[in-house]
Amino acid sequence: MDLNKLRETAAGIVSRDDVKYLIGWRRGTFGYRAAPYFVEDAAGVEELIFSPLCISNLAAYLTLVEKLPVPRGQEPDQRKVALLVKGCDSRAVNQLLVEKGIKRDQLVVVGLPCPGMVDWKLLAEKYPETEAPVEISWKGDDFLLLYNGQEIVVPRAEALAEKCRLCRHPNPLISDVTVGEPVQPWAPAEDSGVAEVEAKSTPERWAYWEEQFSKCIRCYSCRNACPLCYCEDCILDRLDPTWVNRAVNFSENTAFHLARAFHLAGRCIECGECERVCPAGIPLGKLNRKLAHTVREEYGFEPGLDPEAEPFQASYKPEDPEEFIL
Amino acid sequence: MSAMLLHKDKWSEFTGRLSGKNLWAPSLQGGIKKFAPVGEGDAVQLDAENTAVPPKALLFPQTETLFRFSEGQEDLEFPGLDEPVILLGVRPCDARAMAIVEKLFRWDYEDPYYLKRRELTTLIGLACNEPGLNCFCPSVGGGPASTEGLDILMVDLGESYLLEGLTGKGKALLEECKDLLEEAGADALQQKEQLVQEAASKIRRSVDPEGIPEALPGLWEDPLWQRVSAACLGCGICTYLCPTCYCFDIQDELEGAVGRRCRMWDSCMFEEYTKHTSGHNPRPTRRERTRNRINHKYSYFVDKFGVIACVGCGRCSNLCPVNIDLIDILRQVKAAP
Repeated sequence: MDLNKLRETAAGIVSRDDVKYLIGWRRGTFGYRAAPYFVEDAAGVEELIFSPLCISNLAAYLTLVEKLPVPRGQEPDQRKVALLVKGCDSRAVNQLLVEKGIKRDQLVVVGLPCPGMVDWKLLAEKYPETEAPVEISWKGDDFLLLYNGQEIVVPRAEALAEKCRLCRHPNPLISDVTVGEPVQPWAPAEDSGVAEVEAKSTPERWAYWEEQFSKCIRCYSCRNACPLCYCEDCILDRLDPTWVNRAVNFSENTAFHLARAFHLAGRCIECGECERVCPAGIPLGKLNRKLAHTVREEYGFEPGLDPEAEPFQASYKPEDPEEFIL
Repeated sequence: MSAMLLHKDKWSEFTGRLSGKNLWAPSLQGGIKKFAPVGEGDAVQLDAENTAVPPKALLFPQTETLFRFSEGQEDLEFPGLDEPVILLGVRPCDARAMAIVEKLFRWDYEDPYYLKRRELTTLIGLACNEPGLNCFCPSVGGGPASTEGLDILMVDLGESYLLEGLTGKGKALLEECKDLLEEAGADALQQKEQLVQEAASKIRRSVDPEGIPEALPGLWEDPLWQRVSAACLGCGICTYLCPTCYCFDIQDELEGAVGRRCRMWDSCMFEEYTKHTSGHNPRPTRRERTRNRINHKYSYFVDKFGVIACVGCGRCSNLCPVNIDLIDILRQVKAAP
């Protein structure tokens, strides 16, 4: 990855009068963390990075931004937002465009072909996090760590994030400008996580999810990190009526997670952020990918591939299967 | 009874005996470490890493029934809080946090629920021999073997645990177990001092809070708040898992003619936390909410109670999914003009 090229491109974009800021990543403050980074001027691009630690999906920030009321006599800020996207992230942008959650003319999309990200928790098993940030880059198919002053090659299979093992779209599917050469897609691994749950009987599955949902502390990090969970008025925050009680127990937690999963069916672009951010280790990816698999296999639909697509839940084909409808 | 030694041969007998007294200890529960009840015969293993969910959850449960009510009945049904609890393996930071939070619950109104639970709880602490990456307890007045808030302090000496009874409750408990313990000699105490010093020297991160409480009011409109909060997702991780965060909401739950009033953790990082009925929100964005989180811990609480409401456990820095790092924020506060 040519960082100079990325920084040069970014500098050109943030210098434009019609661009408010560019959202990318910078080195984190310790260990294996990369931090989302808002670049407002050309000087800020020096801190931009793109490394195997840039796993987060920045598309969430397109809808997370909180707008203050515009004072009387002033015009709202209509400048564009620029965003760095990997393949998976670009699918979130497409899906947001399909849903008219964002406007195309308010976006500048910088595509970054992605060779795959690391799951730092896998790395930390062998190489614990250090106070100084660890530099990581791609070296052929593998990862190169600069760890305590030593260069260490970590084989791809040892540290590749689960979502990247399953990835079918490493190259951005939408972009105004692309930095870097397209990568050769790799054969996606079989989704053993979903297969493992599918192999369970119904009572076993119920027991499995009961254990998982019981751990939830309802911090809503999964909802907030999800680029496609962006209702302005979330059912979970409603008090009148209270659709989901704030009480934390298996029943309310399940209502929360199932409501989210249902609403993501045919919309989830499998970026894995929900599972990555969960402090309780709930395997939300299995739940959402199961629905994504069903939508793909039964309806031949994959969200986020085409910004002009008809939304899955609002479309109908006469040959759509319906055997499972009770 | 002064300092005692518990040989590790007798560890399971010790925990077995306590398990009959409503004992809770750190346990990995499907991928998340928290305090869980220890049944008879359950093994208790204390390792280096602290729990993700702080033991505050036992004194201040995430969801707590205050009382139950039913239609047409004037009498309210209050929960009986009378069962003593023993928490084993509490880290000094988390025990200090309880001492700090107690100041709030004893302040203008004495909170009967928190204080009753506190009274019923015996805290057996475990000094940290191996501090975590983001531990910075000495910076904020604690230390790897701080005793504040604890009833008993345990130090892992390798072959045995050194146990020091610190309060009447703690000493009484050791007295009950004295057939398993032996008097600690000067060498054990010396070994403890050495381990504590070594542990303190292994703490990698620090920030000197000197001047922060005084500086914060003047930094109200500083651009640093925008900078440090830009990436914030607005989730509840940093507050829910903070041992000194105590904000709660109170709601009624009704099912038909019966219901309960309960209180549950709330978070100042949530948008609706300060939202008025009118729709106005005095903390309209994550910038104001982040500023409040830091000000509350490092300024308002200091003004009111004379102590920083942060024990340097490092959870917020460790667990934030977007690397919003408290230590980094504090350094930026210190560096601000």
